[in-house]
Amino acid sequence: MTPNHAALELWPPAISATASETDLLILAFTVLTLLLTVPVFVAITYFALRYREGSEADRHPSGIRSNLIEISWMLIPFLLTLIFFVWGARLFIASKNAPPDAMVIEAIGRQWMWKFQHPTGQAEINDLHLPIGQPIRLRIISQDVIHALYLPALRLQVAALPDRYTDLWFKADKIGTYHLHCSEYCGTDHSVMGGQVTFMNPGDYQEWLTHAGAQQSKVAAGRTLYEAYGCAGCHDPGATVKAPSLVGLYGSPVKLADGRTVTADETWLREKILNPNGDRLAEGYKQVMPSFAGRIPEDELGRLIDFLKSYTAPASGKAAQANP
Amino acid sequence: MSATGSVGGTARREPHAPEATLGRKADYLHADSTLRSWFLTTDHKRIAILYLTSITGFFVIGAVAAGVVRLALIVPNGAIMTNDTYNKAFTIHGVVMVWFFLIPSIPATFGNFLIPLMIGAKDLAFPKLNLTSWYVFMAGAFFTLVSLVLGGVDTGWTFYAPLSTAFSNTWVLPALIGVTIVGFSSILTGLNFVVTIHTMRAPGMTWFKLPIFVWAHYATSLIFLLATPVITTALILLIMERGFHIGVFDPAYGGDPVLFQHLFWFYSHPAVYIMVLPGMGVISEIVPAFAQKKLFGYRFVAYASIGLASVTFFVWGHHMFVNGQSDLASLVFSALSFAVAVPSAVKVYNWTATIHKGSLRLDTPMLYAMGYIGLFVLGGLTGLYLATLAINQHIHATYFVVAHFHYIMVGGTVLAFLGGLHFWWPKFTGRMYSEPWGRVSAVLIFLGFNVTFFPQFILGYLGMPRRYATYPVEFQLLNVLSSAGATILAAGYIFPMLYLVYSLWFGRKAPANPWNAKGLEWETASPPPKHNFHSPPEVPRIPYDYPIQAQEARDQHG
Amino acid sequence: MSEGLAEGVGVSRAGHFETVGQQRAAATLGIWAWLITELLLFSALFLVALITRIQHPEATVAAAKHLKFWIGAVNTVVLICSSLTMSMAIEFSRIGWQRAMVRAMLATAALGSLFLVLKGYEYYADWDEHMMPFLSNRPFALAETPPARLFVNLYYVATILHALHLFTGIALLLGMTWMAAKAGFLSRHQNWIEVYGLYWHFIDLVWILAFPILYVVNR
Ligand code: HEA
Ligand code: HEA
Ligand code: HEC
Ligand code: CUA
Ligand SMILES: [Cu+2]
Repeated sequence: MTPNHAALELWPPAISATASETDLLILAFTVLTLLLTVPVFVAITYFALRYREGSEADRHPSGIRSNLIEISWMLIPFLLTLIFFVWGARLFIASKNAPPDAMVIEAIGRQWMWKFQHPTGQAEINDLHLPIGQPIRLRIISQDVIHALYLPALRLQVAALPDRYTDLWFKADKIGTYHLHCSEYCGTDHSVMGGQVTFMNPGDYQEWLTHAGAQQSKVAAGRTLYEAYGCAGCHDPGATVKAPSLVGLYGSPVKLADGRTVTADETWLREKILNPNGDRLAEGYKQVMPSFAGRIPEDELGRLIDFLKSYTAPASGKAAQANP
Repeated sequence: MSATGSVGGTARREPHAPEATLGRKADYLHADSTLRSWFLTTDHKRIAILYLTSITGFFVIGAVAAGVVRLALIVPNGAIMTNDTYNKAFTIHGVVMVWFFLIPSIPATFGNFLIPLMIGAKDLAFPKLNLTSWYVFMAGAFFTLVSLVLGGVDTGWTFYAPLSTAFSNTWVLPALIGVTIVGFSSILTGLNFVVTIHTMRAPGMTWFKLPIFVWAHYATSLIFLLATPVITTALILLIMERGFHIGVFDPAYGGDPVLFQHLFWFYSHPAVYIMVLPGMGVISEIVPAFAQKKLFGYRFVAYASIGLASVTFFVWGHHMFVNGQSDLASLVFSALSFAVAVPSAVKVYNWTATIHKGSLRLDTPMLYAMGYIGLFVLGGLTGLYLATLAINQHIHATYFVVAHFHYIMVGGTVLAFLGGLHFWWPKFTGRMYSEPWGRVSAVLIFLGFNVTFFPQFILGYLGMPRRYATYPVEFQLLNVLSSAGATILAAGYIFPMLYLVYSLWFGRKAPANPWNAKGLEWETASPPPKHNFHSPPEVPRIPYDYPIQAQEARDQHG
Repeated sequence: MSEGLAEGVGVSRAGHFETVGQQRAAATLGIWAWLITELLLFSALFLVALITRIQHPEATVAAAKHLKFWIGAVNTVVLICSSLTMSMAIEFSRIGWQRAMVRAMLATAALGSLFLVLKGYEYYADWDEHMMPFLSNRPFALAETPPARLFVNLYYVATILHALHLFTGIALLLGMTWMAAKAGFLSRHQNWIEVYGLYWHFIDLVWILAFPILYVVNR
């Protein structure tokens, strides 16, 4: 279930009425643009050839009053484009005011991940699952810098600001999986801050909420957290920091620098992440790992540990490719 | 001489002081050749050359950064360089291209060289200030280069808070200081131009005899004076925020993170007209010269410059439609952005009408001018797409925006710059460049440019966000095309650098007026003498006094 | 403004100007243009301060209570007096009383320095009262109301920027006084005094704007 990977696509999928109307708007605007520019281009080319120096052309003044032409070529295109101002403005205002019955999803942006929370409490990282045929409002905020949530298939985006809510609403009518991006530059991993939005039939969505979906994506979410908090930056193969691989670590014995051996169970992992130094240093390594106490909220810590528990194969996926 | 009279501004003018001009054969280039005579010169022509060489250097830095960006984007997964390197590359590209190349490009070089010549003056009003502004420019450049050498900046050229104030751990401070300083150089240049155009015109050179080039620079200078101080304040606050955490942009202390964007765009939108108006001035000189015909609708084009310079202060919010700004504000900013198109339309249509029934020569400058008109129109109209609220919601911060501004800034201003450079090259240097090579490069640049940037419109509409080091694989084909175009473009830039430099030594000697053009700058020798004119120039009856006149000229000027 | 100059007072023409009148017009227009940009520079800052004040009235008022109103008021008077002495210097320069002019200029510089001394004392008092939130090693007195920190910091940015202008102004003034004390100055560079006078009045004006915006409206 990844967005289609056609080598060359010339028109993006549109999955809501607003998206289709935006497409119509831009197509109509393009027609006007052609009407306004093609004459200029044709005229320049034609004049350039016709009135070449030495050519036999009539160069007598045409006697046209210039004020009249000037006014008309100012006003006519302006009035024509105003149509598009009005059209665009109406569509924009409509897409800003969500109907009161819309289902509200919380979205939180942070360097460099999105966290979504469904009304029923389930949370997802970077990916988002939604039902079609129902108005949905995303209530968005940021925890650090300014981000922006961008859903190209819906032709919508809005900034995530650190100090106030913004929102975005839509009613999709096609199922499928589409891109979800961060579109406001937010630092190093801006380009990997995103994932996929999947639209499902309402029944499937209910199913997803209650079943595997939530579970499965918990591990996936943990993987994302593992990258977002920079664990991968030190622990993945190829990292410049000398840190032990965490593959298959869960449940295995760990030799510590002070000679003890402990088992890497959930509690120990948790403590190691929150307070890695002191008597928890691994044998043969230096004290480099930062403390994450106060930086990772409890629910995310849980997901991170779930991921570590399932982590048996070396990293794959986009972040690994992005940081070779 | 003790000229201690208390004569008013309108009093009779003394004739040109003979000891200053006559009897000096040497032109400004050869008047004195020590290094010191260049670095301490107050001659506006030499200062223009100082600027020309320094901004060329910056263009090269910016272009190499663009090369790095295009190189990285050949593959979708960012395998060529780290995200960090990529971010630093486009930041330095934007910062250098905007602040150290495009903003000073035409005003500080051609404007400096030509304004006094065009109005029949011996120099700018404040020659020492003019030299100072070059040094200020270099000081700003120094700080920016320091930040580059130390490891670069990764905030984007827009320096949005709070990323730039609290989160980026790159060399933001030196870059900010550099950009703040360079603002003062702009202010000083603008001030000098305004005062010069008001007070230094030769007798008989009335406002409506001024070439459009001078009008355009007058409008540009007003923007320099009225907009730059605001960005200076914004940058000072940003520096204080980063250095001392004063809280203006931090919501935890009651500050407002979006406030910086308002202050930034209040300057940077007008700044885009700083970048394009002088280019329009250049085109307004080239087109009549190569059509041998009076510029159509002179007064309208002159007023349009002033019109652009005023409306431009009220549209900054169109960069922030999706940034949580109120709907009302968005509506107003969108409507005003449409209004800005009107003065631009005036210019485009008037250039076209000037060619009509002219007697055309398609030499290099004219090829650039024609390329300019086409690309500027495309860039401008796609600006209107962006100004349309519902469309902006989709293509904001995508490659559509990148394509829009490169069409105007590269397709527009850079082509105007190159066109002007070829047009006035004989005047600057006294040598002719190679015409065949000139034409080949002009065509090459036009083609390369379109291959590079047209695919970006499509990419943007497909939803590829800008400032992305990695991107979805389905966008690869168009990106590879764009990178391929950039190589053609690079070749197109390298040729002029070579043959222009070559012409300095081996070019044909240029006559005073190789293009048979009108305007006072063509009445003096090529290159001009140190004090510009051997004898006071004769101001013509009407501006653009070309052999072919439209009806209107006869009506208006009798 | 060049009317009514006494005999032997005036300006020597620089080579690139055609007439003295042109040179004077250029200088006047130039300084006005510069002052407009300077005014915009400060206006943007004051605007930000006013926005802060509107958004966080209580915190600003609490912060403004700590500003030393009386020092600010005295300083306003000091600067107005200095503008007066500067105007006198200009008048003296026009009628050719060089010594009186030099004295008036020295008085102006002295008043300007007095302003800086008072301002310095005010900063010291602020420091003493823990009113320097940007110092990391000194706790801020109003730490419970975060926006107060913002307002106080803006106050520092604005007043330090102003003090910097004043400091440059005094330095320029002293340099010019030194030259102006020499014989023949007034027959060559009388308009320097006029142009400089505009700059001095401008510094004064900025303070006259800053005082109500920072000290008074928030009381
Ligand atoms: C030289 C530089 C330059 C110029 C001149 C312009 C000119 C215009 N720009 Fe552009 N713009 C930029 C440089 C420039 N821009 C840059 C650098 C950015 C991105 C900044 C960043 O975020 O990094 C940007 C971004 C930008 C945005 C924000 C995009 C976003 O981030 O969401 C918008 C939105 O409205 C916009 C609009 C316009 C408009 C309406 C014009 C108008 O002035 C155009 C007027 C011209 C014409 C219309 C063409 C000629 C006219 C005719 C052929 C006649 C017929 C037409 C009519 C009368 C309608 N620009
Ligand atoms: C005057 C302004 C100006 C000019 C002239 C240019 C010129 C060019 N720009 Fe410019 N560009 C900006 C102003 C300008 N740009 C701004 C303001 C931004 C926004 C920055 C930001 O987001 O903060 C931007 C962003 C920007 C991006 C988007 C980056 C992103 O959002 O991720 C791209 C991508 O293609 C690009 C490409 C180019 C190219 C190919 C050229 C070409 O015209 C240049 C031609 C030169 C070459 C093609 C390179 C020649 C050199 C080599 C071949 C050597 C290669 C060296 C190595 C590989 C080590 N620019
Ligand atoms: C700056 C580098 C760095 C970062 C970031 C980092 N680590 Fe570590 N980590 C290390 C190093 C070095 C060690 C080995 C030394 C030690 O035990 O402290 C280590 C050890 C560990 C261990 C013990 C492994 C063993 O075999 O003993 C665990 C578990 C661990 N890290 C988990 C994490 C998690 C989870 C994160 C992210 C939330 C993280 N680390 C982030 C550098 C890092
Ligand atoms: Cu978050 Cu870009
Ligand atoms: Cu703009």
